[in-house]
Parts: sequence; C-alpha cells; structure tokens
Amino acid sequence: MTAQVTRRLRIKHTTRVSYAQPAASSHNEVRMTPLTLPGQTTLDARVTVSPAATTWAYWDYWGTQVTGFDLMDPHADLTITASSLVETHPPGPLPEAPTWRVLAETVASSRLLEFAGPTIRTTVPDSLLEKAREAAAGLDPHETALAVSTLVADRVAYLPGTTSVNTSAAEAWEQCAGVCQDITHLTIALLRGVGLPARYVSGYLHPEREAELHRPVAGQSHAWIEYWAGDWCGYDPTNRTRADESHVVVGRGRDYDDVTPHKGIYRGVPGGPPEVTVEFTRVA
Amino acid sequence: MNDVILSRIAEALTWTGRYVERADATGRILDAYLHRMLEDPWRDEDVACRSLYAILGMEAGGAPVDMQQVLDQLAFDARSTGSIEGALGAARLNARSAREAVSSEMWECLNSTWHALADQRLAARRTGPYAYLELVRRRAALFFGLADSTMSRDDSWRFVVLGRSLERVDMTVRLLSVRVLDAAHAPDWTTLLSASGADEAYARVYGGFGDTPRVAEFLLLDRDFPRSALHALTTAEECLTALGRPRQDPARRPIGRMRTRLEYLDTHALEDQLPLLLKDLQQACMASMDAVADRFFPYQGPVEWAQEGA
Amino acid sequence: MADIFDAYALADAWDEMFERPGEVRTAYEPVLAALQPIEPSELRFRADQMARAFTDRGVTYAFAGEERPWPLDLVPRILDALEWDLIQRGVGQRVRALEAYLADAYGHARAFEDGVVPWRLLLNSPHFHRAAHGIEPPGGVRIHVAGIDLVRDEAGDFRVLEDNVRVPSGVSYVIENRRAMTRIFPSLFAEQHVLPVDGYAQRLLAALRAAAPDGTDDPRVVVLTPGPNNAAYFEHALLARLMGVQLVEGHDLVCRNNRVWMRTTRGEVPVHVVYRRLDDDFLDPLHFRPDSVIGCPGIMGAAMAGTVTLANAVGNGIADDKLLYTYVPDLIRYYLGEEPILPNVESYRPDEPGQLDAVLDQIEQLVIKPVDGAGGQGIVIGPKADRDTIERTRKAVIADPRGFIAQRPVALSTSPTLAGERMAPRHIDLRPFAVNDGNDVWVLPGGLTRVALQEGNLIVNSSQGGGSKDTWVLAEGPAESPVPLSAGDPLAVAPRQLGPDGTPTVVQEGEQQQ
Repeated sequence: MTAQVTRRLRIKHTTRVSYAQPAASSHNEVRMTPLTLPGQTTLDARVTVSPAATTWAYWDYWGTQVTGFDLMDPHADLTITASSLVETHPPGPLPEAPTWRVLAETVASSRLLEFAGPTIRTTVPDSLLEKAREAAAGLDPHETALAVSTLVADRVAYLPGTTSVNTSAAEAWEQCAGVCQDITHLTIALLRGVGLPARYVSGYLHPEREAELHRPVAGQSHAWIEYWAGDWCGYDPTNRTRADESHVVVGRGRDYDDVTPHKGIYRGVPGGPPEVTVEFTRVA
Repeated sequence: MNDVILSRIAEALTWTGRYVERADATGRILDAYLHRMLEDPWRDEDVACRSLYAILGMEAGGAPVDMQQVLDQLAFDARSTGSIEGALGAARLNARSAREAVSSEMWECLNSTWHALADQRLAARRTGPYAYLELVRRRAALFFGLADSTMSRDDSWRFVVLGRSLERVDMTVRLLSVRVLDAAHAPDWTTLLSASGADEAYARVYGGFGDTPRVAEFLLLDRDFPRSALHALTTAEECLTALGRPRQDPARRPIGRMRTRLEYLDTHALEDQLPLLLKDLQQACMASMDAVADRFFPYQGPVEWAQEGA
Repeated sequence: MADIFDAYALADAWDEMFERPGEVRTAYEPVLAALQPIEPSELRFRADQMARAFTDRGVTYAFAGEERPWPLDLVPRILDALEWDLIQRGVGQRVRALEAYLADAYGHARAFEDGVVPWRLLLNSPHFHRAAHGIEPPGGVRIHVAGIDLVRDEAGDFRVLEDNVRVPSGVSYVIENRRAMTRIFPSLFAEQHVLPVDGYAQRLLAALRAAAPDGTDDPRVVVLTPGPNNAAYFEHALLARLMGVQLVEGHDLVCRNNRVWMRTTRGEVPVHVVYRRLDDDFLDPLHFRPDSVIGCPGIMGAAMAGTVTLANAVGNGIADDKLLYTYVPDLIRYYLGEEPILPNVESYRPDEPGQLDAVLDQIEQLVIKPVDGAGGQGIVIGPKADRDTIERTRKAVIADPRGFIAQRPVALSTSPTLAGERMAPRHIDLRPFAVNDGNDVWVLPGGLTRVALQEGNLIVNSSQGGGSKDTWVLAEGPAESPVPLSAGDPLAVAPRQLGPDGTPTVVQEGEQQQ
C-alpha cells in the first residue's frame, strides 16, 4: 500500500462517433459520471456534447447518473466528452463473510436476488459451472471470489480486439481471450453459479499506480466485479487485484447492458465502432 | 382539442379525396366511351381503347386492345391506382389510416363500396359494366356529399377538397389532351362532354350539343361548372389560402398563376394555345402538390433506428 | 308449437337463462318471451344483416389471416342489479389492490420486505421494467384502464380468471355490440331498462386528462396505435373518434428535449397524455426493443421526466401475470385490509415447495396455464387433453415450474347461443372494463361477454374462434323515463312552412290522344 492515502484524479472520457452518412437525428443516454461512495467522492463532473445539445440528467434504478440528449438536425459525427474530478480512497477491510446458509437465505429474501441469477450475457454451460464449483469447494465466500476470479483470469487472456461488445461470457471462455468486459461477465456468471451474488461494475482504472502529478496519461474505461459477502466487495479479475484507489466507479448492474456508457439510436446508416479515449491526470 | 391535424392524416385525407375523384372520373370516361362504341360500331375498337389508355396515362402494350382488357385494367384491377378498383381501394386504406379524422359515415361509404365492388364486378361479366360504373359514380357522389354534410369546414375538410380539386384539373386536362394531341384517334367532342358529366350543363349554356372546340372552352374556362379546370383551380386555391400563411406560398403560386391565366384568356386564341396550356396546367398541379407535400407532410414514415455500437 | 328453445338441453354447468329445463330466470323472462316466437329463418336473417353491418362498418377481426365480421350472438347476456353491484365492487377492489401493488413494486417494496409476495416474483419478471422505477404517476394512477376477466362457476358464483392491466382490449366491441343489438333487435329492449354503455369514452377521456402532468392547463391527449394492421386498430380509431382526440402512430410523435410533440400541418404541437395501445417492448427503441419501428424513441425519458403521462403505465405487466394472480387475494387483504369480494379460481403454484408434486399427481384433472400466455394460447385443459399433450405439459412444467400455474377446471356458465337453427348452451365469460381517474374506479356497466362457439369448448377468445354477446346490466326497478315530463306549459309548437306540392293546378289536355 502506498503512503498516499487519498488521490485526486481528473478524468476526460471522449467518445467520437462518425456516421457512414450523416444521421438525420439521434437519441442518446450516457452513463459516464463517477458516483460518490464511501471510498470515492466526485468533486466535479460534466458531460458535454458536440454538436451542441441540451442535456438532462437523472438517476436510474441502479443508482447510476444518466445524461440524456437528442440531436434533431442532421449531423455527420457526434462527440461526447465526460470530464470529472474524483477523490479516491483505499478500500477498507473485507467484511466478515456470512455462512453460505445465511447468505442463501439473505439472497432469497432481498433485492440481492437480482444479482444471483443468470442474464443472457452471463449464461454459461453447466460444465463450466461444474468447474467453478470444484474450484470453490470448501471455501468461504471471500476465498471463493478469489478462486473463481483466478480460474477465469487463468483461462481467458486479456487480448483487446478479439471480442466485441456483444460477446457473451460463454464465448469468451471458449476462445480463451477477451477484454475486461468478457472477463467480468464470466466471473460474474461463475460466482452466481456457485451461489455468490455478483454484479458488473463499469468505471475507470488509472493505469499507473505511481503516476507523476499533473501529467496526463492515456487509459481506458474498465470493468470489474463486486460480490456480496455481508457487504459488497470489489475485485478486478482482469488485474487480479481488489478494486482500490486506482478504480473509479461509474455504475453497477446485472451486466454490461445495465451500465452501457453510451447507449444511442439514430436514423441513418449503421457505421463503425466509436473512437474512445480516456485521459487521466493525477492532481493530488 | 382537434384544432390541429397530423401531417400523416392530412396526407391521407388529400389522397382519399384524390382517389375517390379519380375513380369517379375514370368511371365517367369509361362509361362515355363504352356508350359511344355501342352507338358507333364501325369505330376501330383497338384505336378507341388506345386513346383511353392514353387519357389515363397507362401503357396499352403492343397487342390489340379490346374493351374487355380495358375494363380489366382500367376498372377491375385492384393493384393499380390507375384503375377504379385500385383507386377506391387506396382511398379506403387512406381513410382507414385517418379513421378518427373522417366521419364514420364517410368511412362506411368507402368500406361498403369496396365490399360491394366484388359482386358488381361479377355481375359486369354477365350484364356489362354499366351497373358497376353507376355504383362507382353514385358512391363517389355519396362520399363527397357526406364529406359536405358531416365534416366541419376545418383543415381536414380542406385537404379532402384540395385533393379532389387537383385531381379534377388533372383528369380534365387528360381528357382534353388526347383530343388536342391526337385528334384523328380521339373521341369526338360530344363524348368528351359526357365523359366529364358536362353534357347537360353545356347544352344549357350553349344551347344544344355540338362537336365543336367550344367544348374545350367550356371544360377549361366555365366559371360555374364544377368540373371545369377554372372552377376546380379556384376551389384548390381557396383551400390553400385558408390552409396557408406565407405570402409567397409555393403551393398556391402555380395554381394562382394558372387561374389568372385562364380567367383572362382570349377565347379566340384558345385553340392555338391549347397544347401549351394543357401542359402548363398539368405541371402547375404537380408543382402545387409537391409543394403541399413539402410543407404539410414533413413527417417521416416508420423509421428503422440504428443502434449505437451494435 | 315447436320453437328454437325446444331442444335446449342444459349442460353440466350453471346456465345463465334457465334455472332448470323449461324454467327461465326472472331477468330473462322478457327476452325469452320476445325470442321464442321467432322463426329460425328470421333469426338467421337478422344475424346475416348484423354481419353485413359489421363488415361495412369495419367491425372485423382477423381470424386465420382473414378479415371476418365480428361475431355477435343475438341472445344477450343479462346481469341483474344485485349481480352487477357485486361485480362492480369486486372489480373496483381488485383494481385498487393492483394499483397499490404496482406503486409498491416500483417504490418502497413493502410487500416484498414483509414477505407477502416473494422477491423473485418481481425481480425475475420479464415485465419488471426498471426504467419505470421511481416514476410517480400523476394521481398515483398506473392502471388507467383494466379488463378483469370473470367466469361463473358451477354454483353460480363469479370468480376472477385473470387480470389485464397492460393494454386490455375489447371495449369497442361492447359499444358496437350494443349499437348493433339496438338496431337489429329493438324489440328486445322494450320491457327492460338496460344501463347504457356509451359513456365509456367520456369517462376514459376524463381519466386521461386527469392523468396529465401537473401544471398542464389544457392537456392534449392522443391515442397511440401500432397502425391499421394491428388487430385492434378498429378499437383504437373508435376510441380516438369518440374522445375527439388524435390517433397517432409512433412516427407522428417526436421527442425533443425530453418532451413529446406531434407533427401537424401547423408545426409541432406538445402532447401531454399518451393512451398507448402498444406493448411496453415496442414503445421506445432507445430503452426497449431497438428494432421497434412503431414506437417513439425518447418517450420513456419524457415519462421519467414527468412531461408526459403514459397510460397505462410502463411495467404494469408485473401485476397481471398469472403467477401474481394467485397472490391477489393476499394483496387485497394486505393493502386494503378487506376480504376479496370476488374469489380467484383455486390455483396451484408449481414453483412452491410441495406444490409441483401436487400438480403433477393430478395433472390430467387440472388446467395448466403458461404464466405469460395471452389470448388463450398455450392453455392445456387436463380433462380434455390427449396423452401426448399431458406428457408434453408435464415435462414443460417440470423444466420451468415458474412458467406455469395450475387451476381447478371451472365449467364456465352457459348461455343459449344460436347454433344453426336452434339454441344450444355455450360457455361464456365476462370482461368488465374499469377506468381509474385517481379518485374513483368506475366500471362500465356490462362488459364483454365472450362465448365459445363450439360445443363444450371452454376457451372463449376471438383469436381462438370465439364469439360475443351483448351484455346487459339491468337498472334497479322498472324502466322509467330519465327526465320527468314537465307538468307545466305545453310546448309551443312552431308551425311548418308549406310550399307548392307539385300538383298541377291547371288540368287541360292541349293535345288529343289518338
């Protein structure tokens, strides 16, 4: 653990969509504003759009801040810039895990239930669940989370470009490669399969633990998991580490679909993937 | 609450008016032709039929054409809006999509007519098309009569009347064009008169019938006869005036210009000017309709949305 | 003398018209007296006339890809004032409980915390639309219109068969049935005072206007339809016309800055209340199915922002799935502190401990219903099913116990229905329609009585070949004129003007006929 207790990060997340032909109009929702949580304080955040548009904001069911806007005139491209200033703290100690029996009862009689079952993206074959059960046999919830995450990370190599946003957990397992989204989906699927509620976290990861102050570095948006063992605990299976002060939480849901950073539809010809850059500057 | 009218509905109403008028006019033309051919059996059936196709802007094809083919294609073909049945079908579907804007009686008139056509078509095969054509004429008259008595004089009504008026000008022009451009194969003036339902009105104005170019004058320039081009243009212009606000209305301008041109036309020079005049009339109607569509029907049809990142 | 009721043999069920063979129930006496002397050919003639009138008016429905006139049987279904009072109170109670449940489910979730309803019913339901969470609808109304399906069991007791609180349809047929009957069979109405059904549209409009976002002075209401190809388009158009509001399709609307507008010949005009006749999934391609071409992107956002009210609300499907149905009596007690006025049909939940075995043990004696089936689809009636169907159903229930409920088969009550040249008993149900304006749940007197036209058939949906009956609610006491005639001055009658009547005034033959 570094001596620095808290750190302050400036994040600039730019999404640039170029349409094959100008879009006649578009309707959009953006989930890119970091949350304020016990381990994280959002000091400033704004979402701007070019071409200029009126935006509005609301908090959705999952507690994520959503920015909405629409463009009603033809536009050839669209740039969304989400800027924020966030203070992060190291995670506290892990909570004492309940017994599996207590955990199961708690899940059945609370909203935790919606993080306990498979979604379309996190449906995996039984054979795979069997592997997870073997890996977790005899372990307590925290150990289980670690074992299952390791199982996934050992199998699936982090290889950008091998999957798309629509790849399912099972597919990533088969091809032994994927990005953080796939590794997260797989881990969630297996954790739920062994009886541990788990959710998908969308956010940012500062790429350099010991970054120089005020020097911008390029990074990416990121995904990791939270599992429930008496309380929600963050774990980053892609990097085999607990979610810590380098991780900035934007939204949490059952899977990617609940926290999609940019969801939009437009009238026009389907185009290529957007160009996304994330720039981090440590300011304290 | 219904002070405004949806663009989609306005378009549907305009075309309902147009298609009913088209069915009516087509029925009258067919009726007049059929009648003429019975009275004058020496006529060349193929030539007569071809001039009918020309009037209605349809392709006759290379093979000889007889009256049965004419009826099949210009009356009974439900798939073509150039035929009576197709036009009435299109009018019905348009009215159906504007169901809350047309009165129930108007809708029922179109719907029951549509259902009655099949029987009349079968009967026409046995006893000739007169009953069929009569049904079409009567129902068209009923439809516009119901529009007259059950619709408020609001924008909905104006779109129906606008559609009907523009179609009227178009049909009158088509009728005259054949005679003017291809006199040798065209029907005589008397047939044209009765095809416009104008024979009795003409007789009252000019004293008797007659195969003279004065028929063209009557069909184009008469101020009082509702099917004359001038009358229909005036009506269309009135509708547009009530619908519109801008001073330079691109929908009203071509109509207004043509109307003044007709009003002050030197009737002695009519015969020479006729070919150009007819062409200009047709273009004015089209330009006006396009401008109406641009201005009043700016909605998009059902849209498929593309998904970001999908 | 032989008449059309001669061969009428009661089935093994409650008959609406006859208490015992030949013994007519009081409410039906005048109707029977009017119908009995009529020749079968005359009845047929009237039935054909009615079919023609329905076809001309466009009152049709799609059956096997074909447009057919709406099937209306000539014998009305009659409810007396006492029966109606019970139904009306029972339906109102049901709607109030379901409203409370929806508010709870999309709000504080008390019933789940208190263990009245298991969480999984909400959280695993495909109809739980999280996008609707936290929306506070004006007046607290989410169920602006409900259709509660009732049946009458062997003992003559009304029971609820299912609730419909998403986009219940059929009310246009109630209105059209009455219109047709008063024209084809005016004499039937002579002896009894039947409550009118033509107030529905005004009630609906008032409820929709009351549901407008706060601060809207003169709210604009529209009816949103999937378009003329939808099976219920006739109804959408009728309601729009009777309410005097626009009938819009998705592409007539546009969302701009979180508000909904409609495209008119005079520019874009704001819309405040959308009575939508589209399923949730198609409503907004941004939030739900992206391939929907009949919805309006952004409309959900506007609803969340409170600038437009969607009626019925999005996400109501959690309140009318067949599994929740089994909990409704508990919900009535929990939220309203009342005993249910209309009982359910006895039901099993195969996904609860022990109940699966109980269902499987007697599956050939039960009715198995898929939780998400609509229009009678997928229902298996054990006593009437063959071996294969039973086995297939057994496997399906084992594979997905949450996907089904099982019910005791109820022999729906029968009503005399014209079958060929004779009256024969046919099974019927009843769908009363309720309108909630936030103050009061009003139930349209009558409702849609559907009838299974095949002998013995228990499924009455028109999509399965069912017919319908005009449904009469009798007023209490004898028929009386609604406005008492004034005993004051006689009406001053203005004389008619007269002109020449066309009779020749001079009769003189100027010409000698030869």
